[in-house]
Amino acid sequence: MEHYLQALATVLQPQNLTAMVLGSLWGLLAGALPGISTSMGVVLLLSFTYTLAPMTAFVLLVGAYLGGITGGSITSILFGIPGEPSSVPTVIEGHALAKQGKATYAMWVYLLCSIFGGLFSVVVMILATPLIADFALRFGPSEYFALTVLGLSVVSGLSGGSMLKGFISCFFGLFLATVGTDGITGEERFTFNTVTLLGGINFVVAMVGLLAVSEIFIEAGELFQEYKGSVEYRGLLKELPPLSLFRQYLLTMIRSPIIGTIVGALPGAGATIAAFLSYGEAARTAKREPEKFGKGAVEGLMAAECANNASTGGSMTILLSLGIPGSNTTAMLVAAFMIHGMQPGPLLLSTRPEVVYGIFVSMLLTNLLLLVLVGVSIRLFLELNRLPYSVFSAAILILCVIGAYGLNNSVDDVFLMFLFSMVGYFMRKFGVPVAPCILGLVLGDLAELSFRRALLIADGSPLGLVSSPISSLLLAGALFSILYPFFKRPKMISGA
Amino acid sequence: MKRKETVFFGVCLAFFGFMLYEALGQIGRGRAGEVGSGFWPLLTLSGCALLSGVRFIYCLRREGRESSSLPREEEQASERPQVRQNAVLFTMASFLAYLIAIPWIGFILATLLFVPAVSVSLGERRWGVLAVSPFVLTAVIVAVFAKFITIPFPRGAGLFADFSRLFY
Repeated sequence: MEHYLQALATVLQPQNLTAMVLGSLWGLLAGALPGISTSMGVVLLLSFTYTLAPMTAFVLLVGAYLGGITGGSITSILFGIPGEPSSVPTVIEGHALAKQGKATYAMWVYLLCSIFGGLFSVVVMILATPLIADFALRFGPSEYFALTVLGLSVVSGLSGGSMLKGFISCFFGLFLATVGTDGITGEERFTFNTVTLLGGINFVVAMVGLLAVSEIFIEAGELFQEYKGSVEYRGLLKELPPLSLFRQYLLTMIRSPIIGTIVGALPGAGATIAAFLSYGEAARTAKREPEKFGKGAVEGLMAAECANNASTGGSMTILLSLGIPGSNTTAMLVAAFMIHGMQPGPLLLSTRPEVVYGIFVSMLLTNLLLLVLVGVSIRLFLELNRLPYSVFSAAILILCVIGAYGLNNSVDDVFLMFLFSMVGYFMRKFGVPVAPCILGLVLGDLAELSFRRALLIADGSPLGLVSSPISSLLLAGALFSILYPFFKRPKMISGA
Repeated sequence: MKRKETVFFGVCLAFFGFMLYEALGQIGRGRAGEVGSGFWPLLTLSGCALLSGVRFIYCLRREGRESSSLPREEEQASERPQVRQNAVLFTMASFLAYLIAIPWIGFILATLLFVPAVSVSLGERRWGVLAVSPFVLTAVIVAVFAKFITIPFPRGAGLFADFSRLFY
C-alpha cells in the first residue's frame, strides 16, 4: 500500500499531471483520426520523452496509449470507420445506433463501458499480475491455434440469417491473410508478381474498404437525406444512460472485462480476439432483444468496448511482468523503457518499483481523466452529425483514403482499399456479412503460423493440436460455440 | 435480384476455384511434420469453394423453381430503383476517378473536384453547400493531415506539384 501511496504522490505532481492530460489528448486525437494509429501516436511521442524524467515519460506514454484505444471508437461510432480491428464490433453496433439517431446514447455507453473495462483491467493487473503472467506463459503454438479457432468460432454470431454465407466470408478472410510472403518458408503466395502484395494485405486497408467505403456506396442507393442523423443533446448529465441499463446487462458487464483482461495478456492478437469473443458471447447468450444484434444492440456495444479497453491492462501486465510486448503499442513502450535505461521484465519490480507502481497508478488516473475529457467533448463530436449528409459522406471517403494512404504513404494501398470497397459492396448487396471476413483476415496469420508450428513440434501429428488441457478446452469451447446455434433457435443476427 | 445472386455466387465459385488451382501449385513437403506453404490456403479455399458451390447450386435450383412464376410486381419494382442505382455507380466512378487523379493533379485539386462531384451523386442540390463545402473540407483536411500530422500527400505532376507546394 505504501508503494501505491508514494506512486500516487509522484503521479500527482504538476509536471506528471500535465503529461497525463497532454498524452491523453494526443492519444484521443491519434485514435480518432484515420491515418494515425495508437501505436503511431505513441511513436511520435517517444522522441519527446528523451529529456523527460522517467516517470513523466511513462505517464505521457500511458496517456497516449489509453487515449488512443479509447479514441478509436469515436470514429467507429460516428463515421463507421474502424481505426483498429478490435473496433469492428463497435462499428457494427455503435454506428447502427448512431444511424438511428442515438449517437449520444451510443457515445455514452461506449465511454462508460470503455472506462469500466479499463479500470477493471488495471485493478486485476494490480492484484493478479503474477497469476496472469504465469497463465500467459503456458501458451504455446497449439494453445494459440486453439485460441484463434475460438475467436473464429464467433462467426456464427456475426453471420446474420445465413451461417453458410458467414462461413464463406470467414474462409475468404482466412484466405486473404495468406496473401504475401509466407512467414515460415518465405515463399510468395498469391502475389501475382506484384510488389504491393508482397507484404500481405494490411487489415486496415481491407477494413476501411469493406466496412466504411462500401457503406457509403450502399447509402448512395438509398433516398437522399439532408443530414446524417438527428442530434439531440439535453445536457451533459441528462444524457447519461440510466444505471438500470448496466444492471440489465450485468452478466455482460462482468464477463466482457474478464475476457478482455485475460485474452489481452496474450501477445499477438489480444484486443481483437477479446473484442470479438466478448461480442460473440454477448450475441450467443443475449436474452433481451437478441434480434437487435447487427442492427444496433447496446449489449453488443457494451461487450465489445468493455473487452477492448480491458485488454490494455492485460497487455501491460505481460509487458511489466515478463517484458513481452503484447501489441505494437506496448512494443513502443519497450523502446521507452530502454531509452530510460530500464528493461521491462521480472526484475523491473525489484529494481525500479516506483516506475511499475507509478504506471499502475497512472493507468487508473488516466482512465478517470479520459472519462472526463471524452465526456465533456461528446457534444463537440456529435456536432459533426449536423454537417450536410453529402459533405459528411464525402469527408468519410476522404478520411478513408487518408487512412489507407497514411499506412505506408502508398497510393497502391488506396487502390487496394477501393478494390475491397467493391468486394464489400457486393458482399453486403447479396447478404454476405463482412465482419467474419475481417475476423478471418485479422486472425488468419496467427492461426496459420500457430497451426503449422504446433504440427512441426508434434512431428506432423494432428494430435499435437490437442496436446495440452488448455488447447483441448479452447477447441471444445470453439466447437460448442459453432454448434450452439444449430441446437438453439437461430437468432436473427444480421452482422455488418 | 435472385438471378444476380446466382451470378454473384457463380463468380465466387469461379474465383475461389481459380485460386484453389493456384494453391495446388504451392503444395510441397519440407521437413518431417511441415505442411508447406500451400496447405493453409488450400484448406481455406476449399472451404470457400465448397460453400460457394453449395450456395450456387441452391440459387440455381431456386431460380429454376421460381422462373416459371415470376411475379409481375417484381419486374416493375426492379425498374424503379434504377435512378438510385445510377447514383451508386456515379459515386463509385467519382471515387475511382478521385483516386486516379490524386497522383496526377495532387491531393488538393483532386479533393476540390471530388467533394462536389460525390455530393451531387449523393443527391445534394443546395448550391451553397456545393460551393462552400469543397473549400472548407479541403482546407481542414490539409491543415490537420498535411500540416499538423505531416502526411506527405501526393503533390501531383509538373505545374500541379508547384501549386501543391504552395500549401504543403
